[in-house]
Amino acid sequence: MNPRECSELLLAAMINVDRPGAAEIIGQALAAGITPPRVIAEILDPAIVQLGRLWEEESMSLAQNFVASKIAEDALLRCIPDSRDRARSKGAVVIGNIEDDFHSLGRRAVGLFLSAAGWEVHDLGNDVPAELFLEKALQVEARVIGVSAMMQTTALNIRKLRRLIDARGLRDSIKLAVGGAVFNWRPDLVAEVGGDGTAHNAVGADELFLRLQADLPGEVAP
Amino acid sequence: MNSYQRVMGTLSGQPVDRLPVFAVLGAYGANLTGTDLPTMFSHAPSYVAGQKALQEEFGFDLVLTAFDYSAIAEAFGGQVAWCADQVPNMKRPGARRAADALALPLPDPAKTGRLPVILEATSRLAGLYKERVPIVSVLPGPGILPALLVGMDQWMETVLFDPELAGKILDYSATFFVAWANALLEAGADCLVFTEGMATATVAPRQMFAGQFLPHLRDTFSRIPGPKVLSSTGGSMNHVLDLLPGLDGLVGVIAGSKDDLAQARQLLGSELTLIGNLDNLTLPALSADEVYRMSLQRLRTAAPPGRYILGNAGADIPQATPAGNLRAMLAAGAAYSAAIGCGS
Repeated sequence: MNPRECSELLLAAMINVDRPGAAEIIGQALAAGITPPRVIAEILDPAIVQLGRLWEEESMSLAQNFVASKIAEDALLRCIPDSRDRARSKGAVVIGNIEDDFHSLGRRAVGLFLSAAGWEVHDLGNDVPAELFLEKALQVEARVIGVSAMMQTTALNIRKLRRLIDARGLRDSIKLAVGGAVFNWRPDLVAEVGGDGTAHNAVGADELFLRLQADLPGEVAP
Repeated sequence: MNSYQRVMGTLSGQPVDRLPVFAVLGAYGANLTGTDLPTMFSHAPSYVAGQKALQEEFGFDLVLTAFDYSAIAEAFGGQVAWCADQVPNMKRPGARRAADALALPLPDPAKTGRLPVILEATSRLAGLYKERVPIVSVLPGPGILPALLVGMDQWMETVLFDPELAGKILDYSATFFVAWANALLEAGADCLVFTEGMATATVAPRQMFAGQFLPHLRDTFSRIPGPKVLSSTGGSMNHVLDLLPGLDGLVGVIAGSKDDLAQARQLLGSELTLIGNLDNLTLPALSADEVYRMSLQRLRTAAPPGRYILGNAGADIPQATPAGNLRAMLAAGAAYSAAIGCGS
């Protein structure tokens, strides 16, 4: 099997919520001599991109997406045993649900997909104060902070983080990605809370974070 | 006809003076009474005052007991996040691991946490509105209830990767589910609305619902007397609608905001009432004219065969929704009813 065929089979396994089947496909690819970086780049990544298209078309359920993110995590762990290997990382990112927001499922899926895509993810969990996001981002040298909120009332709490970033003069050093159900319903809210960009789903987070990181002065687009 | 007679007439396919209109309004009552939300959702008289104010201000064809699932999570040992401007929310579930759910003490509806507050509010609403306005109680469907014990992530993971444990947790939580539903009925609820996340297309595919959750709905519904309505929780439910007729006591379905109402009617058959499906989350940003037009469009699509109630899909209508938008729903219902000669 070539990587393209493997990727198509992997996508089918994701759609059919077949985690063991997916593990077998990754195992066969590695056994056939396809290197771990190629497994990620040529098998896992294309399957995730296709998955994102299906999600956009609303032909995927949360359950399928959940299993797909687990499959991506499994593949990542097999191919990059230490996902914190900075030499292989696309960079550090900090993610979490903003203060007063406790809807973690979307954020967790984002974390899994970002990890699978090669980011060093620092997940702060639910109900995270704006100060903590910034403190952690500075500590781990993250160039992008991803903040999740499900409802309008909690999404507005993101404005505090925007103000903190600006007040510290970090607008050109740290980008603010925002996401969650409410931003899909109200795209204008992204600008209202001071977000630099959003993705409609977890699968699109990798592309968004790459774009935001590339927008920073001194960054070279991948 | 009063609202109770109007709704019961619609459910049974009888002629009515005008088509009923529902709006899921809980927290919105705080706009009218000036109560903060933590008080409203922890003090039965405050909650009932909100419903009374909503009835006086708008007169929708239902009163609603608290749409607050954090009380259930709390009763199972979870922590609740209280904010001044939003309905209380589950902060942490009672069980850290899915298997631990089986060791959580089952709450007593009459004694545990804020459950008695909800029962007291239901009883007070019954005192004010029995047989005048339908008293509707909302509770989580039996398939999604375990998410309140272990968190949605853990529950989804268990359902997908450990179906045996998922089955045990469903059985365990069903004891409370049935007791809670029956306690609400005994307190005065006329109808129970179950928001079953596992029946929503964006959560679970059809075969997963049919295989893992529909049998559980059949079993638990058979142990709860009284009329029941199933809600899509706001997304889309047409993918499983044809599986629902015949569920014990089911009288209606609240279509998702993304569902095609004409298709929903076809799938549901003629014996069940269709309710919906304005999108509650978009209501704050729409103009009253838009709400009126969208309401009329739904009425024209779904009302002609009968057994239709205009209403919103999803949960509580946001407090930021202009009052004019709510009145636009009522105006559309009245205008459509007049146009088709209701009551004449």
